[in-house]
Amino acid sequence: MPIQINKGMIGKESPPFVVTVERGKIKEFARAIGDDNPAYLDDRVGQASEWGDIIAPPTFMTTFRDGADSAAFLRELGTDISRLLHGEQEFELHRPIRPGETFVCRSRVVDIYEKTGRSGPMAFVARETAVTDRANEIVAVIRHITVIRL
Amino acid sequence: MKYAKVYFDDVKVGDELPPLVKGPIQQIQLTRYAGASGDFNPIHQDDEFARAAGMGGVFAHGMLSMGFVAQAVTDWAGAGAVRKLGVRFAGLVRLKDTVTCRGRVLATSRHAGAGLVDLEIWAENQRGEKVVTGKATVALPARG
Repeated sequence: MPIQINKGMIGKESPPFVVTVERGKIKEFARAIGDDNPAYLDDRVGQASEWGDIIAPPTFMTTFRDGADSAAFLRELGTDISRLLHGEQEFELHRPIRPGETFVCRSRVVDIYEKTGRSGPMAFVARETAVTDRANEIVAVIRHITVIRL
Repeated sequence: MKYAKVYFDDVKVGDELPPLVKGPIQQIQLTRYAGASGDFNPIHQDDEFARAAGMGGVFAHGMLSMGFVAQAVTDWAGAGAVRKLGVRFAGLVRLKDTVTCRGRVLATSRHAGAGLVDLEIWAENQRGEKVVTGKATVALPARG
């Protein structure tokens, strides 16, 4: 009996959450990927660069999470973490980000649809997160598709 | 040379990025990536959990593979050059897999003084199966 995904979540906006980029987190993230680019890791190289500091790698905003909210979000969708696969991910980056910057993230469910693939029926949950800075300028738009095995 | 500066004027459609080989994937890297990214889904850590979930064992975070592809792009175009990076996760990356990231120039254009380069990007495992496919746009400086 396949599980039922709550399509009433389409259009739902999560409460905005605030993140501040930590210097050590940028370095930890780059090292975890095994990316030793000095633009991410070396403060002196960063200071001498056009950005005046180290910057974060392109996929760093995946660390922008509202931890408290994710289990509740899955429950409301009608699933749990063991059924999830990552389908697609896109970062539209308007500028590099640096340590100490604070951003507001606003996420919403754009679409939910079902398809049957090689491994059986699946639901696709498309979400979009807008990231804005202190000046309320858009810094990035993140689009992600989560696949739920039904 | 790694991190050699690439200029917009020198880029042609069809040019290929230097391949970036990552791995073999080890459990410790997945544990490290979980800590760094905040994605603690046990499906990437706990083999028993992953088998019970019907996934046949632990596999790598898709975002780790995307990080590899992003590195291939920035090793070539420079850190901070990426304007857009979008991928589809086409296959699972397992422990001991080697992931080779590749890219090719699809188009070049100029917008508001910036030289933009559209890339086709992908990653394949040691059997040549694509595990990530996607596109990227980078901004490159003009020569002189």
